Amino acid sequence: MSGILASLFGWAFLVPLLPALAFIVIGLFGDRLRRLEHGGWIAVGAAFVSMVLAVLIALGEMASPDTYTSLSYTWLSLPANPTFPYGFSLVIGTLVDPLSSLMLIVVTVVGFLVLLYSIGYMHHEHGLSRYYAELSLFLTAMIGLVLSNNLLEFFLFWELVGVCSYFLIGFFYEKPSAASAAKEAFLITRIGDILFLLGIFIFFYVYASDGPAGLHWASSGFLFAYGNLPFLAGSLGANTPLLTIAGLCILAGAAGKSAQFPLHVWLPDAMEGPTTVSALIHAATMVAAGVYLLAMTSIFLGFTPTDQFAIVAIGGFTTLFAATMAVVNTDIKRVIAYSTISQLGYMVLAVGAGFAMVGLYHLFTHAFFKALLFLAAGSVIHAIGTQDLFKMGGLKRHLRVTGAAFAIGGLALAGIPPFAGFWSKDDILSSVYSVTGSHPEYWPFLLMAMAAVFLTGYYIFRVWFLTFSGDRIRDPTLPTPHEGPWVMQVPLIVLSGFAVGAGLLIFIPGFANLFLLPGGVTALGIPPTYGTTDILLSVLGVGLGGAGILTAWLLWGNGRVFQLPEGSVWSSARKVLVNRYYFKVAYDAVGAKAVYSVARAADFVDQFVMDGTVRGIEQLFSRISERMRRIQSGVVSDYAAYVVGGLLAVFVLLLLVGPYLVNRVGGG
Amino acid sequence: MSLTELAFFALAVIAVATGLLALLVRELVHTILWIGIFFVDLSAIYFLLEAPFLGVLQLGVYAGAVTILLLFGIMVTRKRIFSRDAATGVGALPIALAVVTFVFLIGALGQLPGSAVPAASYSVTALSTLLFNTEAPYLLLLGLVMLAALAGAIYLVREGRE
Amino acid sequence: MTTLPVGDLVALASGLVAISIFGILTRRNFILLLIALEIGMNAAILTFVYFAAFPQCVTAATCHPLTGQAIAVVVIGLAATEVAVGLAIVLALHRIRGTTNVAEATTLQL
Repeated sequence: MSGILASLFGWAFLVPLLPALAFIVIGLFGDRLRRLEHGGWIAVGAAFVSMVLAVLIALGEMASPDTYTSLSYTWLSLPANPTFPYGFSLVIGTLVDPLSSLMLIVVTVVGFLVLLYSIGYMHHEHGLSRYYAELSLFLTAMIGLVLSNNLLEFFLFWELVGVCSYFLIGFFYEKPSAASAAKEAFLITRIGDILFLLGIFIFFYVYASDGPAGLHWASSGFLFAYGNLPFLAGSLGANTPLLTIAGLCILAGAAGKSAQFPLHVWLPDAMEGPTTVSALIHAATMVAAGVYLLAMTSIFLGFTPTDQFAIVAIGGFTTLFAATMAVVNTDIKRVIAYSTISQLGYMVLAVGAGFAMVGLYHLFTHAFFKALLFLAAGSVIHAIGTQDLFKMGGLKRHLRVTGAAFAIGGLALAGIPPFAGFWSKDDILSSVYSVTGSHPEYWPFLLMAMAAVFLTGYYIFRVWFLTFSGDRIRDPTLPTPHEGPWVMQVPLIVLSGFAVGAGLLIFIPGFANLFLLPGGVTALGIPPTYGTTDILLSVLGVGLGGAGILTAWLLWGNGRVFQLPEGSVWSSARKVLVNRYYFKVAYDAVGAKAVYSVARAADFVDQFVMDGTVRGIEQLFSRISERMRRIQSGVVSDYAAYVVGGLLAVFVLLLLVGPYLVNRVGGG
Repeated sequence: MSLTELAFFALAVIAVATGLLALLVRELVHTILWIGIFFVDLSAIYFLLEAPFLGVLQLGVYAGAVTILLLFGIMVTRKRIFSRDAATGVGALPIALAVVTFVFLIGALGQLPGSAVPAASYSVTALSTLLFNTEAPYLLLLGLVMLAALAGAIYLVREGRE
Repeated sequence: MTTLPVGDLVALASGLVAISIFGILTRRNFILLLIALEIGMNAAILTFVYFAAFPQCVTAATCHPLTGQAIAVVVIGLAATEVAVGLAIVLALHRIRGTTNVAEATTLQL
């Protein structure tokens, strides 16, 4: 049985290929397929088949976790030379290993459910074929990223998902705020991406020119392969500063994609896109790619201690930082967006502390419950047409499925057992705690993460109480809500199942195989162990989360609306939070002053130097062509004259030039 | 100078003269007259060159069909048959091009040695045998070209286009 | 029949080609243009007929002495076809533009 499943590994390229075909078909003919929801059902079908394949591949990996199937094509190969003593080759191909099959499940399952949900949610929008085509392209790119077997290919798909994200955030491009949010997301992630590329170059330089014997990572084309294991073993001492910079560059790339401090500002604004897009791209998959990158880098390349501290610091700080902003926000989607940033911070923290697989475990559970939260929020928005929490209230009587789904998602997010979030978040906290003995500098960030647990419980249930509890809708002008069609409810129910059970899957030995390190090595912290301290930490974590929920109920439960006293320290703190720590203002100011002056200088050069040259050339050619066009008179006789002229030229060549040359050569 | 050469000389002078006249006269119908004489004259040259079949062909196709066709063309594009077509001035460039071409052609071909003798095996039978055996593909191709030209001509002149 | 020197015939053929070129370049009437083309065609046919009987050709194994005449037959056919199509164009031009002057018909579009 496992042999049959393992033989599927070679066909892994089909998983991204099907959405790609869907993209082409929908892109070309989507508008003619009105009865198929403008191609929506094609996208759903392709995603479904992809999901089945991905699950089968994952089952194969569970049965025989050590299998690596790499389908590679070398598209550039350079022999050894003085600069690169081992030569190098660049390849493109697929890598199927336990980790990538785990990611495949996340991407295809959430992708399929979100596409199915879209059929109902997006039904009344315009430009549906564009929507489904772009979403299919996104799935292709995301699956391609997961299956990449080398860093360059990874980067290629990384950029492709970024472009899809840009398209989909700006889906309602007639809305200025959506268009500018799309631009913002694209530009800010670009900062990270440029540094990421720089990091790739540095790694390439170090490994290709000075790699230790037998470790020619770059010479084998940036391959993600176990033989290239980390330099942390110590033989690259002289290159440590360079590699530290490379690691920081990779971190910057990941921080841009995963919206970590200080590149976090784009993600809340990305909520301008459709809610389905937020669920798939800006919660479950694409933003998790940054964490995946960090994990892959730490597994296959390794980080220097300095890098590790930087990653821990950024991750730990972001958990609390984002959670505080979530506390005061009044937009249902933005609160969840901040919680995404915060949860991604937990994953980054875990990867930085050396527990890459624990971080990915949280990525796995988070993908499901966060997609669930977004889809439930989408269901609310679909029902009443507003995102303002203070206009909602009392919806639990109208939207029973949605209310229950949101509550399950909230409990998972708050880390209440036995829901999915508890197991992975608890594993992160106890894992990081276990290394504080040797790394006391991690303490502040662990404490921040602990504090964020309390805030998480508070803010997500503040949303729940404001939305669903109470006996009436605060804004009476809103329509009477009703649940969406079955295509919207089924994903909610399925994802609820995952939000309950996904965390427990890790205790099944076969499933835990997906978290094995290359070479079948058991990863630290997988599956979680429960010693005395771990249990105490768990109790503390659950207590904090529970306290958060309790606080939320006291302040907002049963339709209560809590208001801070005016003029106090608390209300000015609230103002800072509402303004998102003035980061956006500061970025805008920097953009306006610094970038604008650079832009003006560039504009000057562009207008007078570049355009001057271009216009000069253009005028030269237009003058020449002005002359030349007179030849094209349209009069037959003129053309006949040219023919005769050509005939004479042939005569001259044959009778005068030819014999002359022959004589010269013959005589010479 | 042999009799043949003398005859050829006379015919050549007539050919050049009628050719020039055909292009230079102001009356289009006179042009047809001169070009008819030109075709008959060339036919005579073919007879002189011991190619009677071609001579007959020249008479039938050119002096007969083509000349009439051209006359017909003039008739249907004119309101009055005898009307003058304003010939534009003769520039220096066309004359120069024509003369230079002439010089080059003479220079290229005139240096060939020897002179022609009548084909020993000549007969119409031999020619037709050649045409329908070795050269048959060309004949077939010619037929196809004519067919296409026929279709094209009908397409061009049919009524109600536009 | 006595022999005919190459130079005589080449002179005649070249002269006819020169006349043809002169006519094509100077005449503006489409029918005159066609006539000028026919003069050039006849020069070519004449050359074929003459060189068919050229001594060098007769002795060559690969060359039939009547090939030139056979080609001339084909060329006459082609020339007649060309006149037919040319006249069809003249008629179409005349109907659409009301002219047979090539200097006025400078665009392919209607």
